[in-house]
Amino acid sequence: MKQFKLIFVLAAVMGLAACQSKVEYGDATEVETVNENFGSTDLQAIAAKMVDSMMTFPPIVAITANDRPILFVDSIKNKTSEHIDTESVTDSISNKLLRSGKFRFIDMTKVDSVRKQLDYQNNTGMVDPSTAIKFGRQIGAQYMLYGNLSSIVKQDGSTKDVYYKMTMRLMDLETGLIEWSDEKEIRKTKSKSFLGM
Amino acid sequence: MKTTFIHSFIRPTISTLMLAAILGSSGCAYNSIFINYPAQIAPVKQELNTAKPMAELDKLASNIQGNDGLLYAQEAGRVAQVAGDFASSKKYYQQAVAAYTAFDDKAKISASDIGATATSLVLNDNAIPYRGPGYERIMLHQYQALNYLFSGDYQGALVEVRRSNELQSSEQERYQKSQKSVQAMANGTIDAEVNRLGQAAGTVTSSFLNAYSYYTTGVLHEVLGEPNDAFIDYRKAAQITPDNTYLQQDLVRLAKQLGMPQYDEFKKRWGDAKLPKAGEGQVILMVEKGFVPEKQALTVPFTIHGNWQTVSLATYGPNNSYVPETQVQGLGTVLKTEPIANIDALAITALKEDLPGTLVRQVARVYAKSEMAYQVEKSGKPGNNAADIGSIAMQIFNVVTEQADRRSWLTLPKQAQIGRRYLNPGEYTLQLDKAPPAKIDVAAGKTTLVWAIDTGNYTRIYSIII
Repeated sequence: MKQFKLIFVLAAVMGLAACQSKVEYGDATEVETVNENFGSTDLQAIAAKMVDSMMTFPPIVAITANDRPILFVDSIKNKTSEHIDTESVTDSISNKLLRSGKFRFIDMTKVDSVRKQLDYQNNTGMVDPSTAIKFGRQIGAQYMLYGNLSSIVKQDGSTKDVYYKMTMRLMDLETGLIEWSDEKEIRKTKSKSFLGM
Repeated sequence: MKTTFIHSFIRPTISTLMLAAILGSSGCAYNSIFINYPAQIAPVKQELNTAKPMAELDKLASNIQGNDGLLYAQEAGRVAQVAGDFASSKKYYQQAVAAYTAFDDKAKISASDIGATATSLVLNDNAIPYRGPGYERIMLHQYQALNYLFSGDYQGALVEVRRSNELQSSEQERYQKSQKSVQAMANGTIDAEVNRLGQAAGTVTSSFLNAYSYYTTGVLHEVLGEPNDAFIDYRKAAQITPDNTYLQQDLVRLAKQLGMPQYDEFKKRWGDAKLPKAGEGQVILMVEKGFVPEKQALTVPFTIHGNWQTVSLATYGPNNSYVPETQVQGLGTVLKTEPIANIDALAITALKEDLPGTLVRQVARVYAKSEMAYQVEKSGKPGNNAADIGSIAMQIFNVVTEQADRRSWLTLPKQAQIGRRYLNPGEYTLQLDKAPPAKIDVAAGKTTLVWAIDTGNYTRIYSIII
């Protein structure tokens, strides 16, 4: 009888535990397939491919052999039918490029903050003029990195197919020439389950 | 003798208890099972016609967690949007979009769907979670695009426009199966033959496909610098609503600007393109009038095995009310808007398409309910009071629960109208019919998008320069 009680209590505890929601840490680079929407795996695949392609492209290797060219990243245009944070994609790419030690970057998203700070240093009378950073001393970028993210979505009954294409280019601002360009394609197909909730 | 009395008393009581349990368990989740949906939304629509449009919003939003969350999210989003609270509206619409996606992701044979259908056999169709017809889903994205636009997020607006386009093409595909004339639309050939068909079956095409959605996505494409995509959407809108002169002018103008091969043909048919003079700005007017009609219930009582039964079907009343064009004053000569789409026609077609499925469930329900009543009656001997009470209760239950499914997105407009004009830059005082005037700005080389929502007694005007 006692054993029965114990088994019953155990079963009840297990039953309750199964209903509890839990939080777990996972590997950030693990393949994620929660749904067919643009996800972390796509972002990582795009960033890895773009950086690899750029760093191994012979003319770029030549440019970076003796010099660390200065780049700025124009925003990536989101032409998909999803609300995607494209700034996060460019952040990943510029991070990897910067960490390679071959490029230097100018952050165009912070220009306003910098202007405000320089304005404060130079025009408010609060900062010792000898230590204030002067206007007009920043270095101009030589190259512009930009891109497009587009998608084609098709759906038929229980199948949904999503195709993403990320195109990136590096433009020499002086000559207007495209020095490098590449694309990354991703295809995801989702089929509905037959039985479920 | 005593035992049979107890037995016959208990049997009906048990079934009544079971029914009560079903009702109790579902009572909190289903809002429209006993109180018909139009009656719930009537106060919301009334508030929209006053200076305090958001008064009922919290009550509406509290239903989003329920079974018909999708519908209430759509209504709440629309209420906030009409009131000009684009940020809240965006949030509610997002919830509706998430609900649609959840429906899309459901398994082909889903336990919850089977459960809902089973409940609907005992109660009524309102027990089945609401899933809007195609045109409502497209309008959701169209309105969400306007939310993004009026909050200044142009890229977000274009994302919604693309989503709307994707859904439009799947609707078109669905419609293609029933109408050949749409094939010509997909090819974009506005030839004389299709024109003739369009006039003959014009009301048919426009009751399947929503020209207002195509026009809105077209306008957003155009003002956000994608004229080629705009041309495609305008062309489709013109196929559905061929008589709109503003739309015809848009097509000629874009065909000229983009150097399209159709330019000569369009010019011959509608006259040459009028382009803005240097330094002129453009005003685009989108006017929404009234409310889409409510579904009515058609109830027919009859008897089976001597027990009263009813069937109750949703239907639309005769639709004769004519929506007049809007007279816009304050932009030089009086500008007359022209209708682009009748949302009520779309609603009626959507209901027509639903009818076969509704009828199948109706027949099954009549059978299930009459069997329940028959079992209760049979279980007691004639003249036995308890059994009689059970049987009467069962019949009352059957009649009371037989409610037509009258749910639909009711804060949508009845009709949408458009207008467009080039103007010199400056401030203009705009007056739509007899509504209080509103100020808009026109800037050189830019477009001022004016979105007016006329809910009957109240006209709200929103404008943005792009």
